[in-house]
Amino acid sequence: MKIFDFLKILFSFSLPWLSASSLANSDSQLPEVACRYEMKVTPHGKFKATSTKAWFFWRKPGMVQTQDADGHYGEIWQRTANGSIQYRKLYHVDKTAIEYMPADMPTNNMSFDWIKLSSMLDQQELHALKPVKKTRVLDRSAELRKGKVDNRDIEVLWLPDVSLPASIISKDKTGRAELRLIAIEPLSATHRKPVDIEEIANYRHIDAADFGDMENDPFVKKVMAFTEHHNH
Amino acid sequence: MQLLKKFSVATISSVLATGIVQSAEEPAPEDWFNAGRQTVIDAGHLNPNEKHAKNIILFVGDGMGVSTVTAARIYDGQQKGGHGEENSLSFEKLPYLALSKTYSVDQQTPDSAPTMTAMVTGVKTIGDSLSVNQFVAHSEPDANIVNANKLTTILERAKSDGMSVGIVSTARITHATPAATYAHTTNRDWEGDSDLPAGATVPDIAAQLIDFNINGGIDVALGGGRTRFIPKTATDPEYGIAGKRKDGRDLTADWINKHNNARYVWNKEQFDAIDPNATDHLLGLFEPSHVHYEADRIAHDKAGEPSLTEMTRKAIDILKKNKNGYFLMVEGGRIDHAHHSGNAYRALTDTQQLAAAVQAAMEKTNTKETLIIVTADHSHVFTIGGYPQRGNPILGLTQGVGASSPDLDMLGLPYTTLNYANGTGYTGASNLQPAGSKTFTTPNTASWPSGSEGHNPASFSPAFGRPLLVNPQVQAPDYLQETIIPLGAETHAAEDVAIFAGGPKAHLFHGVMEQNVIYHVMAEALGLAEQRR
Repeated sequence: MKIFDFLKILFSFSLPWLSASSLANSDSQLPEVACRYEMKVTPHGKFKATSTKAWFFWRKPGMVQTQDADGHYGEIWQRTANGSIQYRKLYHVDKTAIEYMPADMPTNNMSFDWIKLSSMLDQQELHALKPVKKTRVLDRSAELRKGKVDNRDIEVLWLPDVSLPASIISKDKTGRAELRLIAIEPLSATHRKPVDIEEIANYRHIDAADFGDMENDPFVKKVMAFTEHHNH
Repeated sequence: MQLLKKFSVATISSVLATGIVQSAEEPAPEDWFNAGRQTVIDAGHLNPNEKHAKNIILFVGDGMGVSTVTAARIYDGQQKGGHGEENSLSFEKLPYLALSKTYSVDQQTPDSAPTMTAMVTGVKTIGDSLSVNQFVAHSEPDANIVNANKLTTILERAKSDGMSVGIVSTARITHATPAATYAHTTNRDWEGDSDLPAGATVPDIAAQLIDFNINGGIDVALGGGRTRFIPKTATDPEYGIAGKRKDGRDLTADWINKHNNARYVWNKEQFDAIDPNATDHLLGLFEPSHVHYEADRIAHDKAGEPSLTEMTRKAIDILKKNKNGYFLMVEGGRIDHAHHSGNAYRALTDTQQLAAAVQAAMEKTNTKETLIIVTADHSHVFTIGGYPQRGNPILGLTQGVGASSPDLDMLGLPYTTLNYANGTGYTGASNLQPAGSKTFTTPNTASWPSGSEGHNPASFSPAFGRPLLVNPQVQAPDYLQETIIPLGAETHAAEDVAIFAGGPKAHLFHGVMEQNVIYHVMAEALGLAEQRR
C-alpha cells in the first residue's frame, strides 16, 4: 500500500476540503521540517494482518515531498508562482516521474488544498474535534483533540508550533489506523534529505494520460506488475 | 413499430442519401423503398474524380473504430433531437469508403506509431517506430542508423514539391500520430530531449518539428505539448510549471527566428488574433501536455484554447495561400485517451468535434480539387450491444422494443448498450474506488489530497455479481462503462477501421485495404506516385 492510499484511509473522516484557489493562506510561515512517520493499520478479524509502514515527510515553502522508508517511491507537490500545483509520483529507482497535468486536474475533479498538503489537516478538520488536553510530545507542545466523524472515533495529537500532527488515530468497526510521528527536525539539519528538485527534473517524465498508450513500456509494465503482485 | 417516430417521404430520402433526419413522422414502407432506390440512382451518378488533387486533408480519429463512429453518430443525432440511428456525421457523407487493416509488422493489435507511419509513408513498420522501416531496432539511439532507415513521409514529399504543410492535433503535437508526419525515430516516447537516453544522437521529436528544413519548414503546427519546447530554466506561461528541455533551447523562439512571417501562440486570445493573410508559419501550443477533451475545454481551460474545428479552419486559411496547394493532417487525438479511460461520453463528444472539424474543412474547400480522407489509426474494445429499441439513449440502459423498463440480464439487473471488453470500468473494488460502478472522476473525497487522478487504477479485487444501474447514473458524463476484464487502462482493438474519402482519386479507396495504401492513394492524388520515393 502506498502512502497516499494509506492516508486516504486514515483521513477519511475529514471535512470537505477547499480548493487551492480559494485559499489565500500562505505556507511561508510554516517552518521547514523533515519528519519521519510510522503508519499502522490493524483490521479487525482473526486472520487479517497488521501492516506497518514508515515514511518521510519534508516541507518547505512551495514544496511538500514524501518518500517510503526504502526510498523507492515518493510523491511531490509543488506550488508554482501563479498558484498552480504540480503533482508527481516519483519512482526513484527508475528515475521516473508520473505527472498529472494541470489541465487534467479540473477534469478529474482534482483540487489541492495547499495548507492541508502542508499540514495534513486543515483548521476546519481540526476544529471539528473537541480539545481534550494540552501535553508535550517529542519535547514540543501538543494538543489532544477527539471526536466522532462518520462513525469513526478520531484522536489527533496536534503540534501547533509546526502545524503538523504528532499522531492521528482512527477507529471504527473495521479496524484501527494510526499515524505516528517518530522524529522531527529542521529541514536544514536532517540527515535524510528530500530528493533535489533539479534531480527530479532530470527524471524521465510520463504524463498519466499516456499510460493507455504505453502498454509495451518496460517501466509501465513493471509498475503495473508490481502493484498487482502486492495486491493479490 | 410503436416507438418509431414518423418520417416524411422527403426526410427518409434524406436519411439514406445524406443521413439527416429531424422529422417526427414515421416513414411508410414505400418511403424506405423509394429512398433506398434513390440512393442507388445517386450512386450511379457518382463520377470518379480522376484529376490530381491540389490539396489533401487527412483526418485521423485516434482510436476511432467503427463502433465509435456508430455510437457517435447516434449520440450526435440524439443531441439534435432525432432517434439518432438515422443521423450521419459529416464524414459519413463522403462518397467513398474502404476498410483499413491496421496490424503492424510485429503487432496484431497496433499502437499509433506504426499505423500512422503506414498511412504517411506507405510502409508498415514495427511498434513504437515513427517513419523508419522495420529493420532498425526499437529505441535505436544512433542518428546515422535511424537516417539510413528513415521513410519519406507524404508531408515531406508535399513540402519538397512546393506545397504548404500543416499538422493539427488535440494531443501533444509531438505525440505519435502527428509526429509520424515529420519526425523519424525508433521510439515514439522520445518527444523531448529529456526523454532521450544518454548518448543518443537521434534528435528528439520536438526538435525535429522545429528543425524541419525542407523548403522553409512546416507552415502550421497546432496542438498541445508546450513543455517539451521550452527549457527547464523557463516556466510555462499558463501554469508556471518548469519546461522540460535540457539543451537550453527555447523551440518556440527558434520557430519565430527560423521562419519568415512566423508567430507563436499559446492561448485562444492570441490564436484568434492571428491574421492568416499576414502569417505564413504558425505554431500554437495550447497546453503543457495534451489539450482538453472537448467536453471539458471551455469549462476547464485556464487560458482558453481553440477547438479542433477552429484550429482546422485557421490552418486551412494559412495553408491555402500557396497556389501549389497544401497537405494538412488533423488528428482528434483524445478520442483514444477517453477510450483508454473507459469513458464513452468523452470519446463520443471528441468524435463529434472531429466531425465538426471535417465539416468545416468541407465548407472551406472545393471537392473538385481537395482530397479529404477521414480514418482511424486503430480501434478500441468498445461495443454496442443488447437489443435496444430505436432511439434508445445511446449512453443509457438497454431497453427493448415495446418495453416499458430496461432489459435485465440473467442476474435480474439492467445493463448499458455501450460497454468495453476490458479496462477501468470493472466493477470489483479498485485501489481508487469501491466495488460497483466506476466514474471517470474519482469522487472528491474528504481524504488526503494526494490527487484524484481519475480512475486509472493500479489494482482491482474480484467483482461479485453486477451493480444495480439506473439511467441518470449511466448517462452521466463521468460514468465508466462496465468491462469484463480489469485493466489499468482499456486497450486498443485489432479489427479494421473505416476510411471515408471524397475528392480527387478518392474512388481509389475500395474494399478491404492494407493501411499503408492510404499513402499510395495520397501520392497518386498529388501526382507523386511516379516520382522516385
